[in-house]
Amino acid sequence: MAKKDTKKKGTEAPKVNENCGCLIDEFIVENSPDKERLCSIQEADFEVFTDPDAEKVSNEFYIKNQTDGLPIIPPTRSRVDKFLKYSDLKPEEIIAILPPKRGKTTLEKVAINAVMAGCLSNFMPVVQHAVKAVSQEKFNLPGINATTHPISICAIVNGPVSTELAINSGAGCLGPGNIANATIGRALRLSMINIAGAVPGIGDHATMGSPAKYSFCFAEAESESPWEPLHVEIGYKSDVSTVTMMAAEAPQNVNDHRSTKAEDLLDTIIHTAAVAGCNNSHVPGELLIIMGPEHAKTVYDDGWTKDDVKKYIHEKAIVPVELGDRGGRKLDEKWIIEGMVKITRSPEDVVLVVAGGPGRHSMVAPGFGTSSESVTLPLTLKDGTAAKSVDDFKKR
Amino acid sequence: MKVKIIEREVLNPLADTEALEVEINPIPEKIDSISLVDNTKPNADVLLDTIRENLKFKNPINVRKPAGAPGTDEQIKQAQADLSILALGDCGSCTTWLILDAIKLEKQGTPTISVCSDIFAPFARELAESYGAGGLRIVEVEHPLAGQSRKSIENKGQKLINQIKSIID
Repeated sequence: MAKKDTKKKGTEAPKVNENCGCLIDEFIVENSPDKERLCSIQEADFEVFTDPDAEKVSNEFYIKNQTDGLPIIPPTRSRVDKFLKYSDLKPEEIIAILPPKRGKTTLEKVAINAVMAGCLSNFMPVVQHAVKAVSQEKFNLPGINATTHPISICAIVNGPVSTELAINSGAGCLGPGNIANATIGRALRLSMINIAGAVPGIGDHATMGSPAKYSFCFAEAESESPWEPLHVEIGYKSDVSTVTMMAAEAPQNVNDHRSTKAEDLLDTIIHTAAVAGCNNSHVPGELLIIMGPEHAKTVYDDGWTKDDVKKYIHEKAIVPVELGDRGGRKLDEKWIIEGMVKITRSPEDVVLVVAGGPGRHSMVAPGFGTSSESVTLPLTLKDGTAAKSVDDFKKR
Repeated sequence: MKVKIIEREVLNPLADTEALEVEINPIPEKIDSISLVDNTKPNADVLLDTIRENLKFKNPINVRKPAGAPGTDEQIKQAQADLSILALGDCGSCTTWLILDAIKLEKQGTPTISVCSDIFAPFARELAESYGAGGLRIVEVEHPLAGQSRKSIENKGQKLINQIKSIID
């Protein structure tokens, strides 16, 4: 577009609109009938930027298999940029390669999916580390994403960040109602769909899927637990924040209102967990126990340590071989003891956390069996130092 | 006055993919050693028995590997031969690790044929493509294989024989 002459010799240069080169003087000619437009060169006199319509964008993304079926927040540049500020990595830095599509997982792609999920920008450090954790070899994401099994990915947050982000560890911590619990897990799922290519029926072959695949994220109720929290048990200091990612089925409730002794209560848990149809019945592996604080108190008051609980569950959670050996993978004889199979390989396989509000309920969720191990990552900056707050990640 | 309303653009949530290339090994004219890899899926053994009996391989190496997880280094090493036939991909995770282990064998110089059910074969091919092994040899057997009688699996296995013969010959 040709710009108008902007200088006159010997006189002060007239004011010029920088966008089109029109003389400001011309704009302000009053009562001129041909001045319906401020500027005849530009297509428009004013450009007003608006956010895209969420309903329209949601529908467009949905049609392209880029959502979980729920509406999304449109991932505009300005929204994504706010999320990118909560990481000390560059937007183009690759934090993982995710199967089955082998998607290059840049920080920006994670941020886009976190925006879509409805996260707040300061959830980014948790989402970033959660995605990195599931890419570790021992997690077996190729299997987890593609399987016909309804395995979901559970995120357990420990340490000060869980309080800072108000991740629910109390009443209703498995949902609904809390933005962090609802959207951090959802950001991970959208990342699986869009970055990894785990689109249901295409890269994710779950026979039925699971409600837990929408989001499965909570914090451990560390102050309510009589025992050391998960991250301390693993070896981190209590003031380090961690995210533990575990492939887990949707949780199954354990209603026990009557037991007053540890053994009785744990037996209720065991009889809920030791079922024929879980993967662990033929390929023993991790078992998640989310113990309600009231249940934990009963067990603790009876004198049981966390180790005692884990050993007891490991020893007693067994299924008969003839029932266990009906799974997809042949039961290895090494797991069979007197016609029974333990659903965990060792007490360490019992992943025990305390969470939830008042009430006499716990939850159990079998893992993917021998084929996946949970991964705990501390929330660290690029140089390896543990972040004390999500604000530590903010770009200076 | 003319006002133009511009909707802000949305960013693409899809990731770029990593370009890889895996060379698929030709099957030698004379096959002196063959490995049959059973991933312990129900009826994988029946299919491999059918293949073994019909193709009359001498002293095949029988290997067992996990279904929903990678074969161990030892299992993969054991499966190295002039040709390796792997069965069975008839679900998501087992197809994944059948194909990824076949690719591992190809990388180590062993030509492979992977047996997948016709329902999961398209995914198997897409996965192989994602890992740079678009030409991986995959033969199809009619789904379902699990929870079926031995006779029905043997019948399905018979239909595999011609497919495998046409690849080998």
